[in-house]
Amino acid sequence: MIKNRAAAIAGAAILASAIAAQQPPRIISIIPAVTEMLFAIGAGPHVVAVGTFDDYPPEVRSLERVGALLDPDLERILALKPDLVTVYASQTDLRQQLERAGIPTFEYEHAGLADVMATIRTLGARVGRVEQAEGLAAAIDRDLDAIGKKVAGRRRPRTLLVIGREALAIRGIYASGGVGFLHDMLSVAGGENIFADVKRQSVQATAELIIARRPEVIVELRAGDIPAAQQKKEIAAWGRLTSVPAVASARVYFLTDPRTVVPGPRIAEGTGLIARTLHPEAFK
Amino acid sequence: MCALLRAVDVHFSYGTSPVLRDVSIEVPDGGFAGILGPNGSGKTTLLKVLSGTVTPRAGTLTMDGRDIRRMPRAALARRMAVVPQETHLAFDYSVLEVVLMGRYPHLGTFQIEGPNDIAIARRALAATGTSLLEHRQFATLSGGEKQRVVIASALAQVTGDNGTAGSYLLLDEPTAALDLAYQIEIAALLRDLQQRIPITILVSTHDLNFAAGVCTSLVLLSEGRVLATGPTDVVLTRSNILDLYGVEADVRRHDDAGRLVVVPIARAARGAPG
Amino acid sequence: MRSIRQRILIVSAGFGGLAAASIVLAPLVGSTTIDLARALDRSVPFSENTDAQILFIARLPRTLAGAMVGGALASAGVVFQGLLRNPLATPFTLGVSAGAALGAMLAITFGWTFGWLGIPAIPAASFAGSISAVTIVYGLARARHGGLSTNVLLLAGVTLNAFFSALILFVQFLADFTDLYRMLRWLVGDLDVASYQPLATALPLLLVSLAVFAWLARPLNLLSLGPDAAHTHGIDVRQAQRAAFFSASLATGAAVSIAGPIGFVGIVVPHLVRLLVGADHRVVLPASVLFGAAFLVCCDVVGRTLIAPVEIPVGVITAIIGGPFFLWLLLRRG
Repeated sequence: MIKNRAAAIAGAAILASAIAAQQPPRIISIIPAVTEMLFAIGAGPHVVAVGTFDDYPPEVRSLERVGALLDPDLERILALKPDLVTVYASQTDLRQQLERAGIPTFEYEHAGLADVMATIRTLGARVGRVEQAEGLAAAIDRDLDAIGKKVAGRRRPRTLLVIGREALAIRGIYASGGVGFLHDMLSVAGGENIFADVKRQSVQATAELIIARRPEVIVELRAGDIPAAQQKKEIAAWGRLTSVPAVASARVYFLTDPRTVVPGPRIAEGTGLIARTLHPEAFK
Repeated sequence: MCALLRAVDVHFSYGTSPVLRDVSIEVPDGGFAGILGPNGSGKTTLLKVLSGTVTPRAGTLTMDGRDIRRMPRAALARRMAVVPQETHLAFDYSVLEVVLMGRYPHLGTFQIEGPNDIAIARRALAATGTSLLEHRQFATLSGGEKQRVVIASALAQVTGDNGTAGSYLLLDEPTAALDLAYQIEIAALLRDLQQRIPITILVSTHDLNFAAGVCTSLVLLSEGRVLATGPTDVVLTRSNILDLYGVEADVRRHDDAGRLVVVPIARAARGAPG
Repeated sequence: MRSIRQRILIVSAGFGGLAAASIVLAPLVGSTTIDLARALDRSVPFSENTDAQILFIARLPRTLAGAMVGGALASAGVVFQGLLRNPLATPFTLGVSAGAALGAMLAITFGWTFGWLGIPAIPAASFAGSISAVTIVYGLARARHGGLSTNVLLLAGVTLNAFFSALILFVQFLADFTDLYRMLRWLVGDLDVASYQPLATALPLLLVSLAVFAWLARPLNLLSLGPDAAHTHGIDVRQAQRAAFFSASLATGAAVSIAGPIGFVGIVVPHLVRLLVGADHRVVLPASVLFGAAFLVCCDVVGRTLIAPVEIPVGVITAIIGGPFFLWLLLRRG
């Protein structure tokens, strides 16, 4: 999200002049969601470096890596002479250093589902791809609506959306709170977040809270490859909480698809995966 | 019981520097012996060797003919107690608790002090004139009071079924950390104890007058070697003091004090033997 | 003066009652209101009885964990303070928790998922880490001729803490964002075990430690006189020091593997107990075990009810109590 309109206009002007000067604008993006957006709106060829965790589209794998949220490599970034760098809102030091070097920045912060579309549009304006951005955002909105229609009218199960926990133990459980894109995805997918009342993006859920709130479905979102045997063991770790309806009716699921956790162009696909998990009958 | 504390040909080194060389001493039963020497002469080390705290490289140590090093620790502790120069407690114990620690060598693993132990502790406090301090916290006492309480604890430690007969009280520089008044107090206490109860006392000191005032026999220790040993009035001579300290001193009997006193006069001229 | 035996009994009964009351009452309190009658109603099948599940799966193991960890850390603190002759020593001074932390950090970063003898990865790795740290510290301390000097031990512990802290920072740097957050939460301590299994595994270790502590009570009194004076009072000083070091490290390692390194219990409780019952370790040790249990259970209740449903980690509560406590001690002495 743009914080400073003046900076945005200035940045666009610089980029515009770069384009006008027939120098292709050089963009560095260390935020996986934003990187995906750039490629999806056709600015991919301008991306010269990405962050440590960027993985999609496949083209980024051959690009240089310059760090991420905690360890951005300022020297390398400067050496690449970018015309735009995407930064997390919390990376104030990095932003100040880039400002001093005269390099425009695009600030980003995780927020709600609607903010994904807003970010795409703003980004499009910033890199001179307004039409493509508009098209992408509209397409995502359409896909989300379609999902919403598919599950409309169906009973919304109480859902626990787990974003992390200790291996093989019901400890250190992090779940989505009632705010943020994960919560919004769950809503669109036809689920009722058991922590909808907690106005935070993440909640550390204790065993007591989970037993008390009786989720009917538990969805664990994990990035990375987890072998099937391991997944079975992890699902079995919930077995102790027998009074939880999700455990009793064996509705504990693992989703390891990155589309569910990256708030970028493929967010509708991710939402669809969650929706299929909650309402398999609706998608036959 | 004829107890005899004997060390023969003791060698001890810290690392490679020898501290004690060929030291042989005999402490007769009921005596009040002193190990006299300047700082660095090995006095404290000799006490540590005698009490079994450190092991010498060579030499034998016997009590009543039994090898001290083979005696079980608790058994040795019941016969011999050591009063260190200063006692700093890590935690806030009361005076009675400190004295009762002297009874631990007499207790079984989980045994708790009984009325007999407490009676012995109280008698020891009385013997050192510290009965009134029983319920005070040790840390709040003056230097002299602390030393007397520690002596009481040592007495309680070596009190067996026969009282203190055949037991040893070792004191390491008992007056070094005390003010003059307390020095005199401790000296008087030790003399008094040695006369009233059957116990053998051994002190290490560099204080000539203290040695002259309380010890009936002396071991003069110079640079880890025994310079002379024997009854005090025989051994404490001008020439021995000159050898030991490099100081010209006058040794005479003082009528008021009723004992030998040593008056240092001047540092020996350089090149003089010593 | 009351005899020692009487004092031990009175103190144990008093603090024991406090501990028992805490353990019984704590599971009844929480962020969710439960119907105790329904929870104890046998006619309702357990798998459908939410109140019973909250009571017996969420709260009771947590309370028992608090009691075990609190008792272990408090008594280990007493023993370390006696060993190092310093009332400011904590169970973590000699590096046990740094080793445990490194083990846990590695398990989190590398996503270890193996179990070891049925113990999940993080507690197993943390216990292994604390054993390594203890071994290294002991080895370093013994390398100097002359056995276990407490100064050398302290130096070895400080060295290990520094070195392992550097390694921990490095591992944290390699970790990604979610792992980092998990590490930080582990470091602040968490009693939500949700299972009796870690408690059952740690119990024998804690019982062994407590048995050794009982044997160490009198030797610790003597050690406070200084090693030479302790020796002339008839104890094997080196044996006592070794026993103190290993038993207290074992108790600490077991406690940290259950709930992470919860601070301040191991120093606030011994201080308070000494203020109340004196310095004799035969009284201080049982009192510390029982008061430590009650203390941590109560801190956990506060942590999970104050701003429910959000939980304040129990380590934060103990720190909030510990800070002002030491300020008060400081001002009192001054």
